[in-house]
Amino acid sequence: MPTSLAPPADATFVALLEAVPDAMVCIAADGRVVLVNAEAERLFGYKREELIGQPVEILVPEGSRAGYLAGFLADPRHRPMGADGPFAGRRHDASTFPAEISLSAIDTGAGIMVTAAIRDITAQLRLGELEHSSQSLDSFIYSVSHDLRAPLRALSGYSGALLEDYGESLGEEGREYAERIVAASEQMARLIDYLVQVSRISRAELHLEPVDIGEEAARIAAELQSGEPDRSARFVIARPVLALADRRLIRTVLENLLGNAWKFTSGRDDTTIEFGTAPGGDASVCYYVRDNGVGFDPQYSGKLFQPFQRLHPAHDFPGTGTGLATVRQIVELHGGRTWAEGAVGAGATFCFTLDGKESA
Amino acid sequence: VTTPTILLVEDNPDDEALTLRAFKRSNIRNEIAVVRDGAEALTYLFPDDGDTPCPALILLDLNLPKIGGLEVLRRMRADARTALIPVVVLTSSKLEEDILDSYRNGANAYVRKPVKFSDFTQTVNALGVFWLLMNEPVPSHEPEVGIEIGHS
Repeated sequence: MPTSLAPPADATFVALLEAVPDAMVCIAADGRVVLVNAEAERLFGYKREELIGQPVEILVPEGSRAGYLAGFLADPRHRPMGADGPFAGRRHDASTFPAEISLSAIDTGAGIMVTAAIRDITAQLRLGELEHSSQSLDSFIYSVSHDLRAPLRALSGYSGALLEDYGESLGEEGREYAERIVAASEQMARLIDYLVQVSRISRAELHLEPVDIGEEAARIAAELQSGEPDRSARFVIARPVLALADRRLIRTVLENLLGNAWKFTSGRDDTTIEFGTAPGGDASVCYYVRDNGVGFDPQYSGKLFQPFQRLHPAHDFPGTGTGLATVRQIVELHGGRTWAEGAVGAGATFCFTLDGKESA
Repeated sequence: VTTPTILLVEDNPDDEALTLRAFKRSNIRNEIAVVRDGAEALTYLFPDDGDTPCPALILLDLNLPKIGGLEVLRRMRADARTALIPVVVLTSSKLEEDILDSYRNGANAYVRKPVKFSDFTQTVNALGVFWLLMNEPVPSHEPEVGIEIGHS
């Protein structure tokens, strides 16, 4: 039960005070604390008997907001939360925290009493800073990637020119070195492209619309087949498969998954690649791409979706190791999740959902 | 008859060297004048002695010291002497606003500099072939007054 000097608080008022989620401090006209709730004890680190009767100044850093209470008493209109700008609160251990307060005057009959609701806004401020720094990180990545391309063009350019203009006199070993510089600079260009893509996707606004992703998958399958008409492959694509998704981004997801399936079945003459749906667990439905290709060691399945991770040597299956990381980024942006199942030599199944993450 | 000049506006010496090499490789024999910032470009196009050279093609980088590429383009288009010279913006930016601003200010083409050496060489080669051989240049003796518009 709150202890009070004066005025005596009735039970309803005290119960109300305790029910408020903010820290509540009631102050008499002489500036002394008369009543506090449990949240105020917790926030300021005092026991209530240590606060009652003390001047309210012990709750603010020395010298801050001097005369604020007097100013309020001279014009006791209600001040809503945050209206008078940020305050600093001072805890028992003398540490401080950013706060917003709201003030109301209550005429108790025995004089004016001021009730102050105090809210710690450390978390909100931190969140704002995080959002801001994530935005500036994105634009930083964008501009750095842009600036990195110029020296890279010189690397690729001069090593290429060296090969073309002086290849003869370089000798075989010299030419190989120059070719390695060319290849490495091209690899770096792809990595930079990936960085730009990540920052662009993370800044992208989702334009959700009903998309027949079965139809998108069929179109991508046809493109893969026409790119290598000599390969015999069977595509089994469920249609229609309607989903609420960003058309452009979901196409990128399917391009990566089907492209991978196509790539990792390249040694087979009985390639089968499936796209379909299955019960989704926590989500309404799960979409999958399954192939009968080289598969992967399931103990590394967690690494598959990390950028620049490759489970197969680049000379067997070329690529930057960024496709599945892009898939995961886009799927998570939609509120879904990704996972993979497979075994060495037994094909792979890549699954994703587009909802259910929040409800999980 | 002198072959018309190409004006390359480029501040990066590596891009300059690689562009010049690619032109040489493409057997494009036109004289290539190089200026290294926007202010130099304007001095070249609008010299104090008044005689404006008339390059057959301008390759214009956007991100330039002193005066940027877009401002150079704006001032060129505002002046009758340079209003019609073909300008190809050649830059590493693929920002949508840069592309739009370039076209809005009268660029004839917008080309991104490829990072890959072979693509870069091919791109410069294609630009040279298109703008100097295939494209019909602006007539050099353009009627200065009394242009008739329309064919009623």
